[in-house]
Amino acid sequence: MTVADRIAAYREVLREWLQGLYHGMISHPAYEKIEKEAEDSEDAFLLACFPDAFGIPSPVSYYTAELLPYLEDEFEAWERRLWDRDSYLERKGQQYHF
Amino acid sequence: MQPFVFFGGKGGVGKTTVSCGYGRRCATAGVETLIVSTDPAHSVSDVFDQAFDDEPQAVDGIDGLSAMEIDPETEVTRHLDEIRQRLSEQVSASMVNEINRQLEMAHQTPGAYEAALFDRFVDVMRESDDYDRVVFDTAPTGSTLRLLGLPEFLRDWIDRLTHKRRQSIDLFEKAAIGNNEPRRVMDGDPVLERLAERRDFFEFAGGALRNDAAFFLVLNPDQLSVNETGRAIEEMEERDLSVRGLVANRLTPPPDDDEDGRGARYLRDRIETERDRLEQVREQFAPPLVAEIESRTREVRGDLLAAVADELAIDPAAEEPTFVGRDE
Repeated sequence: MTVADRIAAYREVLREWLQGLYHGMISHPAYEKIEKEAEDSEDAFLLACFPDAFGIPSPVSYYTAELLPYLEDEFEAWERRLWDRDSYLERKGQQYHF
Repeated sequence: MQPFVFFGGKGGVGKTTVSCGYGRRCATAGVETLIVSTDPAHSVSDVFDQAFDDEPQAVDGIDGLSAMEIDPETEVTRHLDEIRQRLSEQVSASMVNEINRQLEMAHQTPGAYEAALFDRFVDVMRESDDYDRVVFDTAPTGSTLRLLGLPEFLRDWIDRLTHKRRQSIDLFEKAAIGNNEPRRVMDGDPVLERLAERRDFFEFAGGALRNDAAFFLVLNPDQLSVNETGRAIEEMEERDLSVRGLVANRLTPPPDDDEDGRGARYLRDRIETERDRLEQVREQFAPPLVAEIESRTREVRGDLLAAVADELAIDPAAEEPTFVGRDE
């Protein structure tokens, strides 16, 4: 193994580590945060569409029902998130990495 | 006058009689007319002694007159089936049950009947090319007002939903850093598309009601009916829908001058109070009193309907719609 190869291998390891570090410390929390925010606003959307799921009669649920065939993934994820959400505070807290 | 004419009013004042009478008058004047009953308790069938369903059907014996009755129950079921159909095409079998529950819930909410009726009568307005005049015999005041107030209200709702949906898609797109595939994309989002379609629909309904529709309120000469009419006029004004005229129905017929029995005295007495009420209507309400129809002892059908039609001083001539069909 030449010196050049060894330097290249070393740099490869370093690059991987740095990328992992960057991903873990900066980019992942960042997009996780945005994604959770996106999920939150999607939840708000679904709640506005189907408040009758919680026993609140809605004047538009007759119309928003038309959206159901297109909301498969959203709907499933929404229900799942609602099950394991304890409080709004906790949900918001999850978005911060201390 | 506008091609779409709505008759509203308190329950039991004779909206159906008046709308059928007017429909007949229009048809006799050579105006191709359709009578649409949106009252879940239908009685157009009774007036013409003929069964109608939710497809326009020619009325026997009167040229140029058709009638239909909208049944909200059928409409709700139709809507439900349509969505179910699409559901089975789009959604995986395991999710169908889950979503189905939500779907059924949405169709049992209190507003479902109103929404179904609303959808159908907007469709009727949209596909009214075959007719010069469409007469709507509406449900009693309260629900009709809510029905007519829907477009504005629902458009705002749909706007808010669209905004929320955009917001979350935008965030999902932003969350996809680098080479990641965003979970949702704005372009061609079917949900946004459907919302936009709905928005257009409400826009159309609002425009048609404001530009091409005339509203008449039917009332009886009693205090309750007069009060309710006053409230209805106010509420309609709040919604930017002006009432073109009032129709007083079920007025007591006067006895002959030489009669002086108990019956005649009773009638004169009644006429006295009714005159006061009508005076009140003329003075207090802005819309003019366009017709005064005497009470009949028999059910209003056939020849009697023609007589009632003659008493309606509402112009049968129909104008071309200015809003509906303008851009089609």
